[in-house]
Amino acid sequence: MDMIWKTAWLNVWRNKVRSLVVIVSVSIGIFGGVFAVAVMNGAIEQRVDAALNDEIAHIHVNDPAFRDNYDIKLLVPHPQQVLGTVRETPGVESLTSRILLTGMANTAAKSAGVQILGIDPPEEKEVLQLYKTTIPGTGDFFGEDSRHYLAYIGHELAKELNIVRFQIDQEVLDSLAAKGVPGEVLKKLSPFSGQRFKSEKSFKKEVKAVLSIKEQHAFGAVIRGEAWTFRARSKMTLTFLDREGMQTGAVFRIAGIYDIKNSMYEMSQVLVKKEDLAELAGIGRNDYHQLIIRLDDLESTEEVSATLRAHLPGLEVLNWKELQPDLAMMTEMVQKFYAIFMVIILAALAFGIVNTMLMVVLERTKELGMLTAIGMNKKRVFNMIMLESVFLSLVGGVAGMIISQIVIGATARKGINFASYAEGLEAMGYPAHIYPAISTSFFITVTVLIILTGVLSSIYPALKALKLDPAEALRTE
Amino acid sequence: MNNLKLAWRNLWRNRRRTLITSASIFFAVFFALLMRSLQLGSYDHMYKNAIESYTGYLQVQHKDFWDEKIVDNTFPYEPELEQQILKDANVEAAIPRFESFALASNGPQTKGVLVMGVDPEKEKYLSGVLDRMVKYHLSPEAIKKIKLDAGIPDKVKELLSLFENSAYTNAGRLQLDLGISDQEAPGLMPDIERYCRFDNGRIQMGEPGVWVGHKLSQYLKLGRGDTIVLISQGYHGSTAAGKYEIKGIVKLPLPDIDNKIIYLPLDICQTLFNADGNLTSLALAVKDNRDKAISGTLERIQGLIPGDQKVMEWREMNDVMVSQMEADNKSGMIMLGILYLVIAFGVFGTVLMLTAERRREFGVLVAIGMQKKKLASIMTLEMFLIGLLGILAGALVASVLILYGVDHPLIFKGEMAKMFEDYGFEPKMAFWPIDTYYIWQMVIVGIMVLIAIGYPLRKIFRLKVVNALKA
Repeated sequence: MDMIWKTAWLNVWRNKVRSLVVIVSVSIGIFGGVFAVAVMNGAIEQRVDAALNDEIAHIHVNDPAFRDNYDIKLLVPHPQQVLGTVRETPGVESLTSRILLTGMANTAAKSAGVQILGIDPPEEKEVLQLYKTTIPGTGDFFGEDSRHYLAYIGHELAKELNIVRFQIDQEVLDSLAAKGVPGEVLKKLSPFSGQRFKSEKSFKKEVKAVLSIKEQHAFGAVIRGEAWTFRARSKMTLTFLDREGMQTGAVFRIAGIYDIKNSMYEMSQVLVKKEDLAELAGIGRNDYHQLIIRLDDLESTEEVSATLRAHLPGLEVLNWKELQPDLAMMTEMVQKFYAIFMVIILAALAFGIVNTMLMVVLERTKELGMLTAIGMNKKRVFNMIMLESVFLSLVGGVAGMIISQIVIGATARKGINFASYAEGLEAMGYPAHIYPAISTSFFITVTVLIILTGVLSSIYPALKALKLDPAEALRTE
Repeated sequence: MNNLKLAWRNLWRNRRRTLITSASIFFAVFFALLMRSLQLGSYDHMYKNAIESYTGYLQVQHKDFWDEKIVDNTFPYEPELEQQILKDANVEAAIPRFESFALASNGPQTKGVLVMGVDPEKEKYLSGVLDRMVKYHLSPEAIKKIKLDAGIPDKVKELLSLFENSAYTNAGRLQLDLGISDQEAPGLMPDIERYCRFDNGRIQMGEPGVWVGHKLSQYLKLGRGDTIVLISQGYHGSTAAGKYEIKGIVKLPLPDIDNKIIYLPLDICQTLFNADGNLTSLALAVKDNRDKAISGTLERIQGLIPGDQKVMEWREMNDVMVSQMEADNKSGMIMLGILYLVIAFGVFGTVLMLTAERRREFGVLVAIGMQKKKLASIMTLEMFLIGLLGILAGALVASVLILYGVDHPLIFKGEMAKMFEDYGFEPKMAFWPIDTYYIWQMVIVGIMVLIAIGYPLRKIFRLKVVNALKA
């Protein structure tokens, strides 16, 4: 058997140019496929990560009817008792309680429908890491002691409500100059000096109109960063219905602005202190609508959900897979999609391998005849051809995977920025700055698929070789 | 002609190799065409949904409205101007609208909603909101009745719970969701339709009353005949509030809009916002919706309207969706690029083998006086014929599927459908008919062959007869 392996390996290198064409094509195909998958996979992992760490955590507990329409009256009964039960459940790392209300956020000019989350800041920090996404310079996560009501809002909402604005003045132009933006570009921008733009859209449009495409690409992001202004001490009014169904509300000062690259979440979720909201809405201090739970280990999600369900009859216990079924399904579906994509690429590669192996067999007619004549049995001939084909594809495949790993490693550090599609991607909750990532198990799957391709594409040529009549074959030139 | 004949015969000297190489091109072309057709079809379908159920191709607006959607940024509705706009050759109808945001509530349930003041009669030129009225509703009561009917098979009853509270604008989708085949339909559908029929009332100019999106009605737990309260900010900061009877339920194909839309008669809506006679937009229905015609119309209308108004195009108004589609389009193109790259290497491999195998033959041919130029052109023809075979076969098979698919779009059911809706898309994938994307596949394969041909041509022109004969 050893002999066959060695012969097959050496045979690969008998016609170097031909083998190299196949090897290069396999490695390019594998690299292209693996890298494309890594980019998609990276985006999805970031999405799942953001959803679990910043947005929803792992498990929610609330009244069974609460999620239907967020009825303010559907508070969790026996709040302290439930809190204690959950806290003592094994596998629960941390938890926090929230009040949820639907309402409107208004500033002088604009208004938007929002969901108001009444939270306990120190506890919330234990469960979710939303606080880490605060945009520098906009404040912090309820750190300041203020006599005002405070609200922590999303970047998209801040832009919508004109709390974040874009403006160009002398100061902006000066700091752009300091950052190496050429005078020519500054001259084009100077007519805007002193102008405050109504929205990000109009800012982008007007700046785009005066700059060339090249300048937009080179300096667009810097200009946007400098023109971005946040009005410190901005305020907004939140209106909602209280427990009695009466319209109420109050003025809230912006404590900070978060940015998680998910426009829908940023647009709709406003965080305020639970004690403030409870007081305004006429809800008891210890009452809450929902418990948000973080687990020690993500893998134990199903197990802990089942325990909680058993301990908390009459309450709805939903884990992240049930809360965002699209997330779990997306991960599953995408994995299938990756496999199909790789199979299509390998199928395309198989055509090249079959052709080459066929050539190999036809070219060695005499040699194969000789081998059979001196007593090599058909099985070994078949194996030899098959091994040659597997080596051919595997060398290319391994090269392709090594290149992919290097490129993924290089791009994963800084990420790839698909800024021009940011709006569309962020609207679906996906980041535009993607860090490619792939699991080791995917490489194993790909390796298996490559070997399979090698084997399958050798069958037809190997059968051809078997059909050779040794006597006939020896006579050919 | 002679060259072509020679090239053709040469191809079949090694039939297997020719077929395998053509097959690889066939494979790529087939996949590429099918994928492009599905992508382009889906984009078009989504754009049409957005345009036809919401924005329209063109809108006249107050120049600041798009950036700041407040009631103050409205403009007076002037019939003379409308008449002038209607004179444009490409404008079919002008549809006046008043849209704004409000807080809708039913007792403790509240939600931010999109309020659309419309002229129901005129909307038929664009959003066809009348066609989107809910006709069937699988309400818990309807399901109970269906379950009690002994004539309905169990497999249908089992599916009911999955679609509880779903609403339908036509019987076809209902039949599909319940897994009823066309053969069974005449026996079952009349009964099922009777059980879950849903009747709507009309809204009319001058009569207070609203239509509510199906998802929104579910959220607010409201049905026909119930009363809904709308609170918002009116013209110049005044308070806008009103109470309306729900006359009907609509179901829009875009879930993101279905869960927040409320239709009001235009004049009632203007009164609600204290902005009598004003519009937020005048949507235009066009006769020719091709890009060129649209931009031409845009320029002409822009010339007619006063300076404080502007005309917006659908692409601008649906910018998020356009950006999503572009990202998807690019990722699809990259995938096809990888596929074609792999195939190109396969073709190159074939050429390499072909050349090596026929080195001696080339030598003989040149030795007996064949011009190298002629030899080169035969070789080139051979490669193009291989490419052509692959393209034709790929295009043929793909076309059969695409032509069928144009009339039979893929419609997803069950969980898949749910996921599509969660992302705000209709669970449907349409095919795009045969179009210029076919030409692109040919161009790509052509370029592939051209690159591959470089190697043998170089070999031929550098051929040393003596060496070649010895090979």
